[in-house]
Amino acid sequence: MLVLSRRAGESVVLGEDITITILEVRGDVVRVGIDAPRSLKVHRAELLVQLEQSNRQAASPADEVVADLTRALGSTGGTGGTGGTAGPGEPTAPSAPRPE
Amino acid sequence: MTAAATAELVTADLPVLEMVRPMPGFPDHRRFTLVRLDDEGLLCSLTSLDEPGLRFLVVPPDRFFPDYAPEVDDDVVADLELDGDSEVLLLVVLTAGGSLAATTANLAAPVLVNAGTRRAGQIVLDEPGLPVAAPLLG
Repeated sequence: MLVLSRRAGESVVLGEDITITILEVRGDVVRVGIDAPRSLKVHRAELLVQLEQSNRQAASPADEVVADLTRALGSTGGTGGTGGTAGPGEPTAPSAPRPE
Repeated sequence: MTAAATAELVTADLPVLEMVRPMPGFPDHRRFTLVRLDDEGLLCSLTSLDEPGLRFLVVPPDRFFPDYAPEVDDDVVADLELDGDSEVLLLVVLTAGGSLAATTANLAAPVLVNAGTRRAGQIVLDEPGLPVAAPLLG
């Protein structure tokens, strides 16, 4: 890892079109400005870790959990729902069979 | 995936969604389909066509989070080939708890589907105030 010391207001340039500027240093918080093409995805590292963990936890719930949730949502959704509301399955899965 | 599982899905004639923005943690899972789990199409399963058994529960967020209106960048619009006429599905991934009250929704990274082109992605918004695990019932 390349380690550089920078002061507030100073920048680092990566490649042709990415500039990282130290905006402010206050205590243990550093505000960083990133000037990069919009196609470059910039994310806080811990958010990506959180999202990976969340997706792994969400993945492949047990059948009985899904059945319970379907029932529970059916009982709450019946009061607030309008009969004509198009669900997300309709445009993409017009012939989708319902399991069970 | 196994031949039997493939045959089952093909007979069901489900449209194949191409995850052009893969789900974090599942970078190689690109082909999914959406299966309705109830009559209303409220709860759906985002089911992998690459790995048998892998699925995610998703719901349209409007009933649970009426104020939720994520904005996406131009590069997402380009990746999903969205234009003015595109029909877009907005879905959030649920982490099922033991009960409805313990179930959470990921508002930090919704799933967007271009219903016309079948291009889809889990879009990382990285906006403050959008939780990864928001209680579904508030």
